Amino acid sequence: MSEQKKGILIPERLKPVLGAFIFFVVMLAAFIASSPEVFLTIGIYSAVFLSLPLFAIMGMSLVFVTAAGEIDLAFPSIIPLSGLAFAWTLQQTNLNFILAAIFSVVVGISCGLLNGYLITKLGLSSLITTLGMNFALIGLTNVLNNGEVRTFEELNDTKIKSILVGSFGPIPAQMFWMIAIALVLGMIFHRHKFGLHVRVAGDNPEAGRAMGVNIERTKILCFALVGLCASIVGILGILLLSTYFSTMGEAYLLPTLAAVFVGGTPVTGGKGTIGGLVIGAATVVFIQTGVVAAGLDGQWTSLGFGLVIVLSLLGHRKFSGRLTR
Amino acid sequence: MSNQPIVKLVNVNKSYGNVYALEDINLDFYPGEIVSLVGDNGAGKSTLTKIISGTEGPDDKGQIMVDNQEVKNWNSAKARARGIETVYQNRALSEQQTIYDNVFLGREITNRFGFINRKKEIEETEALMRKIGYTSKVWTPFSSVNKLSGGERQGVAISRAILFESRLVILDEPTTAMALTEAAEVLEFVRNLKKAGKSVIFISHNPWDAHAVADRFVILERGKIVFDGPKGSMSADDFIALLHKFAKKDIKS
Repeated sequence: MSEQKKGILIPERLKPVLGAFIFFVVMLAAFIASSPEVFLTIGIYSAVFLSLPLFAIMGMSLVFVTAAGEIDLAFPSIIPLSGLAFAWTLQQTNLNFILAAIFSVVVGISCGLLNGYLITKLGLSSLITTLGMNFALIGLTNVLNNGEVRTFEELNDTKIKSILVGSFGPIPAQMFWMIAIALVLGMIFHRHKFGLHVRVAGDNPEAGRAMGVNIERTKILCFALVGLCASIVGILGILLLSTYFSTMGEAYLLPTLAAVFVGGTPVTGGKGTIGGLVIGAATVVFIQTGVVAAGLDGQWTSLGFGLVIVLSLLGHRKFSGRLTR
Repeated sequence: MSNQPIVKLVNVNKSYGNVYALEDINLDFYPGEIVSLVGDNGAGKSTLTKIISGTEGPDDKGQIMVDNQEVKNWNSAKARARGIETVYQNRALSEQQTIYDNVFLGREITNRFGFINRKKEIEETEALMRKIGYTSKVWTPFSSVNKLSGGERQGVAISRAILFESRLVILDEPTTAMALTEAAEVLEFVRNLKKAGKSVIFISHNPWDAHAVADRFVILERGKIVFDGPKGSMSADDFIALLHKFAKKDIKS
């Protein structure tokens, strides 16, 4: 196509990342132009960096699931359920962090494995299965937690908290964890044979099966990864506020999914980008934080989201051809 | 040919319920020859290839012999291990992935942690494609398959089939629904396979394509072999007349 005519040849796989980045810069410019006094100070960025890692870590696992041709809507309930496992164990063991984290991860991964099993082995639709699981797991969480708010002020000056969610100057520690996880998951998604099998599962599973790739196992592992990331997000979220409450996952559903698509991962499967996801998550979190900071009513946030999602999809299509279809 | 056959079918039958898809098939495939397998829809071409490639088992009576030894519980993994590769019509490639990812799919060259050695895969992909005469100037190994023409896609699938020293390559309708130039490109790949020492089973609806590449013809009608002979000096017109003869017989009966 036009690729050959132009002087600069952009590698196919970088286009969605670049598209997401351009979109982010345009949005940032618009915010700066509208209220420079807010967006030219460091404070707003510190606020974004506080919650960005949580959305990004969650979203990275969704890139795997989406590229594998499935969808996961259960993660907003896996966060509070695995979070409950973490909080409960902390209370029971007099703040044994390691034990609590292990139990939380086990609960998260188990939820993911259950989703994956239902979807691949029983052949159920992932959209409906995980929608149902989202209700079921938050229900289970509420039954187990019984409306309790669990606070952990005694964690406040511990080493573990400062390592995980402390801050280095204006940059919260979780930003570094996000970057580390993005590097690992990015390498796996783009360079490891597992990542290739994930993309093939979403593109042409028959081609994979014909070459001996275990498509079912690949998909199950993707759902397990969602469970793992949900428990990490739960742990970080609890440490950040020193509090557990069972509605802690509610705010994640739409923004995280939006981050996946704004980041340039097509809903049709077969492709995805971890780098794009991080930029997509930054875009989404920036709108959440920026709309309020710009002095607009919080109710404008949703309108902003809607516009950004639709505009970014249009942008991706123009930029990368058939990506968004 | 004096060589021993790579694959020999002895009295192979296949039925689905009480419908016979194949009846008493006796067939040999020798090293270094291209066999065109032709016949109408439902003649049993697909069933026959599925049995050779191991994706379906034959009925109990009859034998499959590989290198003159009977094989039991034949399946696709065993077939691949014995050097028999199949290029399927529709389910061959993952179009959104790169050429080298497709060529090495399921058999990736990795380090011991499972990370793909892209440099090595790209080098080997280029070597394979040179081997079959893949001369397109447009692609790089980084191109995703959906940027390629139909003929070029078959080229990717065919070069994958000769990875790891396969001996017999089964091509299931490789030229179906292709423009003339694309089909010609694919036929050239097939000839180059032979030059590289591979045997080919070429399945086609198209008598001209089947004639153009073949050393030998096998014509199937209603699950039976009605013709098995060398091309010799047979022209394309003779071959088509032969096909018509069997088809007419079919209509009369």
